[in-house]
Amino acid sequence: MATTASGATVVPPPGATQPRRKTPSLTTNPGGFWFVLPFLVVYAAFTIFPVLYGLGMSFFNVSLAGAPTTFVGVDNYAELLGDAQVWRTLGHTLLFTVLSTVPLILVSLAMALLVHTGVKGQWFWRFSFFAPYLLPVSTVVLIWNWLMQGDFGFINGILDFVGLPKVGWLSDESVALTSVVLITVWWTVGFNFLLYLAALQAIPESVYEAAALDGAGGWRRTLSITLPLLRGTTGLVIVLQILASLKVFDQAYILFNGSGGPGGAAAPILQYVYDTGFVNYRLGYASAISYVFFALIIVVSLGQFALSRRRGRTAA
Amino acid sequence: MTRTTPSRRTVLRAAGAAAAGVGATGLASCATPVTGSGSGTQLAYWNFFTGGDGERMVELVDSYRAEAPSVDVTATTLMWGAPYYTKLAMACAGGRAPDLATMHVSRLGPFAAHLLDPFDLDELAARGITQDQFPSRVWENAQVDGELYALPLDTHPMVLYVNTDLCSQAGLMGDDGELAPITSVEQFFDAGRRLAEVTGSTGISWAAADGLASWMMFWSIFRQMGGVMELPDGGPAQVDREVMTATFSFIRDMTDGTICSQTLDGPAAPAVFASQQAGLFVLGPWELITAETAGIPFTMVPFPALFGDAPLIRADSHSFVLPRQLSVDPERRAAAYDMAASMLRNSLSWAGGGHIPALSAVSESPEFLTLEPQSNYAEAAEFVEYDPAAYFSGSGSQLMSYGGQQILGVSTRAQTPEQATENLVTWLDQQLAIPSPV
Repeated sequence: MATTASGATVVPPPGATQPRRKTPSLTTNPGGFWFVLPFLVVYAAFTIFPVLYGLGMSFFNVSLAGAPTTFVGVDNYAELLGDAQVWRTLGHTLLFTVLSTVPLILVSLAMALLVHTGVKGQWFWRFSFFAPYLLPVSTVVLIWNWLMQGDFGFINGILDFVGLPKVGWLSDESVALTSVVLITVWWTVGFNFLLYLAALQAIPESVYEAAALDGAGGWRRTLSITLPLLRGTTGLVIVLQILASLKVFDQAYILFNGSGGPGGAAAPILQYVYDTGFVNYRLGYASAISYVFFALIIVVSLGQFALSRRRGRTAA
Repeated sequence: MTRTTPSRRTVLRAAGAAAAGVGATGLASCATPVTGSGSGTQLAYWNFFTGGDGERMVELVDSYRAEAPSVDVTATTLMWGAPYYTKLAMACAGGRAPDLATMHVSRLGPFAAHLLDPFDLDELAARGITQDQFPSRVWENAQVDGELYALPLDTHPMVLYVNTDLCSQAGLMGDDGELAPITSVEQFFDAGRRLAEVTGSTGISWAAADGLASWMMFWSIFRQMGGVMELPDGGPAQVDREVMTATFSFIRDMTDGTICSQTLDGPAAPAVFASQQAGLFVLGPWELITAETAGIPFTMVPFPALFGDAPLIRADSHSFVLPRQLSVDPERRAAAYDMAASMLRNSLSWAGGGHIPALSAVSESPEFLTLEPQSNYAEAAEFVEYDPAAYFSGSGSQLMSYGGQQILGVSTRAQTPEQATENLVTWLDQQLAIPSPV
């Protein structure tokens, strides 16, 4: 297969043969296997084995408290179907994914476009927008925990000053998850910003020049050239962002000190898995929950994959 | 030419790469510090004390090191709460647990079943540690099935921190220079309101949004009202619903935004007291150092009996346990007993952090009795109320976390006391109905 400059894939006609390589390649040389072996050993030991072992655990009543283990069949899976807390926390995770993915894409795109307009002090904007991403999660949460304090937090202080009512950022059930979203957006938007900025810089200047000669103004150029050419990057950002958002755990856990927030309104499903397995000692049941969630992530990824493939084909 | 077997050079390169890979993983796993001279008994000790308590724990460990120079103690400090108990349980389940570990007595139940060894009372007596040296309530709660699984180091009941300056401005101090006795809810709330006038914000600092702080208050009031909670395996939970609703109502009345804030969280509550924005502060005694560091005029007294006659107070104890090991080395086990006994004997310095030493030889010593304000509330050790026994209860447990959510829901008016009772009892029944992991 070869790829043309326009990005469309050209399938070689049947019967055509690849030009024979003169030197042995990594894939055809049996020695290559030995180079990959160290990785395979680590991968098998730390990924494949735990995945299979965990799947096995979900069929047993494994206890962290050391109680004898017996085979329980699909009891764990049957239990989780009726466990309201599983569905509630799964709902929180999905809601968080929706609430965080949209602004994380729109805000990062807006920031990248603004910086790309050639505003003065490029390094400053790039640094400022990307800097929060470099902070460890505990630092980020610590900062925001104090900013969002109900009684004497900075944000409520400002709201109070301008005459608006205080918001229970960390104590109101209906706001708690939004607070986690706000923190996450501030913290990770820099990464998407960087991806968009790189994509913007890869758009050839000649396209804009041609459009300018045809009399296209700034808005026209942005809508008709920049945004369509960013579509590939947007697809990538969406996939990465959805997968990252589904994995939400650490910022919510630290922000509410493991309590799940007011009324448990900000407990993602991974925290329920953690609490069930490690705090309540029920490792077998926790495994079952995590495998159901794992299956869901795979479905989302495959769906996204199929969608982007179809889009790629229609584009060609 | 196509090679079918790897050449000597290929194999050498691959082997080199593999060796580098193994070397890298070997380095990454090398987190266990290698210390000591290599001779003498090795002793691994785990604890969860950080901050001021962490410094005093290092002192205790060092004093044992000085007593037994031949023992090589490796002390590992981990973050307290769920992460600590997780790691300890996993280490025990894996058979490679430390020789000695710290544990809250309230978390003993599920660990004692399979993961800990009981203490041998004769071995303890040989080191001068006997039952009659401990408050009876504390000793009882360190037992599981008639055997001693935890050696209590201290008791830390809920206490009342008093800003003497603000309280005298609010007219709450008696002629003797002490806080005038508070014997009823009305008096307690009135004190809060008068203090709020002095501070201009709230009167009493209490972290409604912190599971530990809120559960302490909840459990103390529930017990003072005579509430009983039994959590038998399989359920249902035996709970006085009316008392529980009355307890939630107390929380709601207290968090009116004047007496108490509705939303203070764990770090904020001591900060409010330390910055003199509240005249009273309710929590365990471990924020003593925070108040001392802030340089404010303060003292500490037992949390009063607001209901009933006895000042029943939610408390917990730090203790030492012997994690079960695949094979017990008698020398290491003996050293573990030595170290635990030594730390108990030296616990006067531990009291510096606010905790009441469990050993009477320390808590009744003239040195401790002159220690202010610790000796003020030392009597509270006689009235301690531990959490109800269940695998999901105790400090840093799911009960504390879920109970804390319900308490916060009441204080922020997101739910009524009746709804909170319904939620908590329903949740307890669910927990008891599912198969116990113990």
